[in-house]
Amino acid sequence: MRFSAVFVLAGLCATIGLSVAYLKVSRLSVPLDPTAEATVWDVEARVAFEGRGQPAKVELTLPDTPPGFALLDEDFVSRSYGLAIRGAANGNPRQAIWTIRRAAGAQALYYHMKVYPKREEVAADPGPAPTFPEVPEYAEPLRSAIEAVLKKAREESADISTFTSLLVANINESDDENVKLIRKSATEDGWATMLTEVLAGARIPSRVVYGLPLEQDFVDTPLTAWLEVHDGERWLGYNPQTGQLGYPTNFLIWSYEHAKITATKGVRNIEVGFSGNKTPMTQLSVANRVESKLDTGLLALSLNDLPVRTQNVYRVLLMVPVGAFVIVLMRGLVGVPTFGTFMPVLVALAFRETKLAAGLALFIIVVSAGLAIRVALTRLRLLLMPRLASVLVIVIGLMLGISLLSAKLGIEQGLSIALFPMVILTMTIERMSIVWEERGAGTAIKEFIGSLFVAVCGYFAMTEPHLVYLMSTFPELLLVVLAMCLCFGTYTGYRLSEILRFRDLAKR
Amino acid sequence: MFFDTWLKLRNAGILGLNARNREYIMRHNPRRRYPLVDDKLTTKRLAIEAGIAVPQLYAVFQTEHDLNKLGERLAPYSEFVIKPAHGSGGSGVLVIDGRRKDLVIKPDGRGLTRDEVEFHVSNILSGIYSLGGVPDDAMVEYRVRVDPIFDPVSYQGVPDIRLLVYRGVPTMAMVRLPTRQSDGKANLHQGAVGVGIEIATGLTAHGVWQNRSVADHPDFGVSLSNLEIPNWPRLLELGARCYELTGLGYLGVDIVIDRTHGPLLLELNARPGLAIQIANGRGLRGRLEAVDRLESIPETALERVQLACDLFRIH
Repeated sequence: MRFSAVFVLAGLCATIGLSVAYLKVSRLSVPLDPTAEATVWDVEARVAFEGRGQPAKVELTLPDTPPGFALLDEDFVSRSYGLAIRGAANGNPRQAIWTIRRAAGAQALYYHMKVYPKREEVAADPGPAPTFPEVPEYAEPLRSAIEAVLKKAREESADISTFTSLLVANINESDDENVKLIRKSATEDGWATMLTEVLAGARIPSRVVYGLPLEQDFVDTPLTAWLEVHDGERWLGYNPQTGQLGYPTNFLIWSYEHAKITATKGVRNIEVGFSGNKTPMTQLSVANRVESKLDTGLLALSLNDLPVRTQNVYRVLLMVPVGAFVIVLMRGLVGVPTFGTFMPVLVALAFRETKLAAGLALFIIVVSAGLAIRVALTRLRLLLMPRLASVLVIVIGLMLGISLLSAKLGIEQGLSIALFPMVILTMTIERMSIVWEERGAGTAIKEFIGSLFVAVCGYFAMTEPHLVYLMSTFPELLLVVLAMCLCFGTYTGYRLSEILRFRDLAKR
Repeated sequence: MFFDTWLKLRNAGILGLNARNREYIMRHNPRRRYPLVDDKLTTKRLAIEAGIAVPQLYAVFQTEHDLNKLGERLAPYSEFVIKPAHGSGGSGVLVIDGRRKDLVIKPDGRGLTRDEVEFHVSNILSGIYSLGGVPDDAMVEYRVRVDPIFDPVSYQGVPDIRLLVYRGVPTMAMVRLPTRQSDGKANLHQGAVGVGIEIATGLTAHGVWQNRSVADHPDFGVSLSNLEIPNWPRLLELGARCYELTGLGYLGVDIVIDRTHGPLLLELNARPGLAIQIANGRGLRGRLEAVDRLESIPETALERVQLACDLFRIH
């Protein structure tokens, strides 16, 4: 009963902690490895035009929330132009509007965005399902050609998806006279648009999207047109050249239905070119930016919301439970004797700042000097509290002395002694001197070495870079540490030291 | 090799600290009853009320102010023991067994001045020897005269007998003999010898010293086995009655045998150590489980002693 209650509780804690961490990893792409790198794309739209020496206005369609991508950052190079951004509304796309009183000669404006291709494919589905289009009024002889082609495709296909694929492939490849006629009706630019016209003949909702396939770095490229067909549930992409279902890799959709993504007033010869290149970025900073763009409840569990000073405090504090668990193991499983329960954690915390070797040396120096003086104090027969206070004064004096001396000698590490918790030092000295008197030097030194050993183990656990990273990035792992402590609380097996202690009994 | 030992220990039913704490102490010793045994004055008062024999209490000092009357209050006694009410493991115990002029004499023959005794009491009051360093009371009580049976096997000091009483049933026993190393104190940590006693007979078996098995006393070289503890049934009954006294199910009872007064209850321990297993050369677990298997445990201490003698007869 008691047993299972503990495990249920521990299981609950561990499950909550691990699932929150898992959500962060899978949804927000927070990496488990701090050095993991992600590929981020820098995409740039260059709008070039010629001014005519009169007031000018240039509008550029911008992607809003491109499906499959996280928009990390965007900026504009506007020179002396005024810039306004109009959000998407009433079916109109998001737009940047540049204006200037007088524009003359060649001009160039830039829009620059950083996007992170998310791993999972998100179905492209903005807005409600479209209505079925009316059959367009085709002119003859195109009308009969389209009817014939549609009829043929309908006979050979099973559903909208196969129908579309077959039809597009047929229009692209067939030598049929009807098809040739249809092909001739399309301009090279309007190929996909022509396909939507034909599909409308079968009352299938379709549209053209314009975007950029982010595969290789590219310079000054136009947008690629892609065919989308609504199958009754969602929009599916088709290659307008082959009829194959799907999108190009990392297809960044810039504009829906409108091939023309600019509108101008008072300028001429406008041209838009797109460039893009991959940049590596640590996955952590990607995740942080993705997080800040998404309004998610998980955000509440991020240290990044705290002021930097407080963040740093918590980075240290979050490691204390790890150190405490090391002590739990050392005492309960190994059976190392220590002074005080959590004294080794506090000493290990100090080692974090002083570095191990210097910390150990300083700790041993202060404790042994303090111990010598404490023994001398015994002869004075002081009452307990005044004696503790005296040892405390002496400890601080010793620390100051060591700092001053090392400053003189130019030993940097000596200065960090001020970071030792002096009350802990004092209590260690006091406890050690009592153990020394009552149980002899052997026991006292054994416990002292035990404490130091545990502190060093704690130090290694608390400064392990990966652990530090995990704890500060996933504070919910505290629950996992809690679960481990709860579970260990039910451990009733031997301590390793007991195996030594009782080894004579095992021989019988 | 380690794992092998582990398995052997487990098969032998050796109880480890983790198991003792979780399965016995936490289960059978309610925390609120700890003060009854942690404070020796309370234990003594309870014992007297219940009619259990204890060393007579001479005086109690509770404040520094009381120290003024120390000389006066100790004047009637030439032999006494000063100990902290919350001490553990025999620390802070000062034994005086005589007077010479103005000095009081320790068992090793060294004299102490009144100031030195006052300082010792003052240290006790300030809490040096108490758990957690909290201020403490000092008690002065009858100095036990060791039963002659222990003369050949104890170096000064007073040997005491540790009974482990589980749910009122005496489960295991050992006698702790002071050595030169333990400075006359009957504390295993300080170097005393522990010798297992058979519950059914009161005969000693082999000993443990510094966690190792020994057959002979380390100072005198005399055999430790087959000593017969005097008044054994009475001693067992005294131990068993401490269960009702405290309500602690897993209890260490420390008893001394005075040459005139017989078994006297010295102190109780709510977290008795595990060395008793080494002294007896056997694990506790089997015996504790044997008690747990009983359908009911008799109500009177005498019946429980009889039960223990039946349950734990080794032959």
